[in-house]
Amino acid sequence: MKPENLLLRSPTSRKLTTGCEILDECLRGGFPCNSMTEIVAESGCGKTQLCLQLSLCAQLPISLGGLDGSSLYLHSEFPFPFRRLHQLSRSFHQSNPSIYANHNDNPCDHVFVQNVHSVDHLFDIMPRIDSFVRNSKKRFPLKLIVLDSIAALFRSEFDNTPSDLKKRSSLFFKVSGKLKQLANKFDLAVVITNQVTDFVESSDGLSGLRIGNLRYLCSSGRRVVPALGLAWANCVNSRFFISRSDKIVCKEKTENDESGPSSVSRRAQRRLDIVFSPYLPGASCEFMITREGICAVQA
Amino acid sequence: MEAWRLPVSSSIRGKLISAGYTSLSSISSVSSSDLARDVNITEEEAFEIMKLANQASGSNSCNGSRSLINGAKNAWDMLHEEDSLPRITTSCSDLDNILGGGISCRDVTEIGGVPGIGKTQIGIQLSVNVQIPREFGGLGGKAIYIDTEGSFMVERALQIAEACVEDMKEYTGYMHKHFKANQVEMKPKDILENIIYFRVCSYTEQIALVNHLDKFISENKDVKVVIIDSITFHFRQDFDDLAQRTRVLSEMALKFMKLAKKFSLAVVLLNQVTTKYTQGTFQLALALGDSWSHSCTNRVILYWNGDERYAYIDKSPSLPSASASYTVTSRGLRNSSSSSKRVKMM
Repeated sequence: MKPENLLLRSPTSRKLTTGCEILDECLRGGFPCNSMTEIVAESGCGKTQLCLQLSLCAQLPISLGGLDGSSLYLHSEFPFPFRRLHQLSRSFHQSNPSIYANHNDNPCDHVFVQNVHSVDHLFDIMPRIDSFVRNSKKRFPLKLIVLDSIAALFRSEFDNTPSDLKKRSSLFFKVSGKLKQLANKFDLAVVITNQVTDFVESSDGLSGLRIGNLRYLCSSGRRVVPALGLAWANCVNSRFFISRSDKIVCKEKTENDESGPSSVSRRAQRRLDIVFSPYLPGASCEFMITREGICAVQA
Repeated sequence: MEAWRLPVSSSIRGKLISAGYTSLSSISSVSSSDLARDVNITEEEAFEIMKLANQASGSNSCNGSRSLINGAKNAWDMLHEEDSLPRITTSCSDLDNILGGGISCRDVTEIGGVPGIGKTQIGIQLSVNVQIPREFGGLGGKAIYIDTEGSFMVERALQIAEACVEDMKEYTGYMHKHFKANQVEMKPKDILENIIYFRVCSYTEQIALVNHLDKFISENKDVKVVIIDSITFHFRQDFDDLAQRTRVLSEMALKFMKLAKKFSLAVVLLNQVTTKYTQGTFQLALALGDSWSHSCTNRVILYWNGDERYAYIDKSPSLPSASASYTVTSRGLRNSSSSSKRVKMM
């Protein structure tokens, strides 16, 4: 058995840019390769938007923070947002024409979508993913795997009995082990999304167990807890939490317009917090979702 | 066997006998410094005599009054040995204090906690600190880091290594100029080179690597710490036969203990936590079950208390139960700076 020579690795591991400079600064470059990152958020917060944007950014050349590769998007929730992907892809193509000029293709050609409906199905496709990565074309080899979302895979089949929960936990480690093995073998970035459940104060106090930098996670004005519990939290390398709060922005009334109503525009503010990570200090960043994708708000 | 049979000069022989060392067993049962003092000879000569005595008594079965069984030591000698064992600092003096000075060599220490509490950070800090040269109070050794989860990030190790080099440079300013002249400056790159990194992706790889470690360390004698991050990840998957898992784990634990004792190095196992149903409620416990708790010498549990990270000595043959707080900074593990902290003795 031979040890790995650490000096051969780049001093900063390769990172996948999020497409937004300020988010990248908060994450010190973006999502790391050879590592499993989890995005936890309430539904409607922007996890899928961020994942779609990552799948496109993976095609950027390495000098621009991309991975110069294609991405595999495994989705377990229906329906897959094809229209939104096309919309993002069009603006991506417009801003980066040089990548596609010589081959006359478009960014959507390099995002591979696969539907996963249960954990067993996921294990069934693993060997196919392995050979897919191995045989991927020279031009855009597979560099990113997105699983959206892991919680939906486990929602229906398991009851709340201790034996089922135990079975479920061992499946977490199996899934995580296989994905990390792939990530290590081919230097891929793996991004997994997870849902939240409402926090209910239980008698044993374990659902309120503090994990990571934030004492508790709040979204849409209420306290939430990431789904799948402590066992899954042990399986990922980093965890980011996206929350939303509805901020009301008021427009000021002009001097001689006392009678008219003041116009109020509601903008949903999103916030990314780093819950835990092996190399990032706890930090947070605010962003918005626009037609072109995700862009951060200046602090 | 009589001392006058030893192949030494007659003047030394005379001194030995007049000091009372008439049998070989009495010579082999003291330390060389005691022998030198009693017989009024130099330490090197005493050391030579002891070597000869040990050789001679090894060739016949020895029935001296002090060493009844070959290889047995008395507790006094063991105490001397233990006191002189070096310890690896964690860079956090509060944590070092409750650990009795640092992570002890020759012991298997298990450190467990929830995700995000700093287990990998402690692992990386130890693999850097073991390389601190002896002139600065460290061990000057190498580290083996076995990564089962993929949490080891080179940039973080580099950050911690740079902070360590900076601290050493600052300390050099206070050192005696005699030592300063012989200083070889350590660079962060050198520190990274001395971390022998293995990545294992399945439990079979993990078992194979642990079995191979004996041979590997015999060829790399300057390894002083072996860190496994984490020991449990590959074992929490579904094992068809739970008895097999227990057997495999206890074999692994035994190998670690042997490694620690044989090569006088520290073995640090990082563990995860899980919920255990005891006495009608769910409680947090370290993973891998009750039988695993016997496989380590010392056990440290990391937990959150409010906004502070705390470490608690859960099991140790010699240290009292105590807890201390620490923080994880960009420079690595450090003391927490809160004014209300205190070391709690249980």
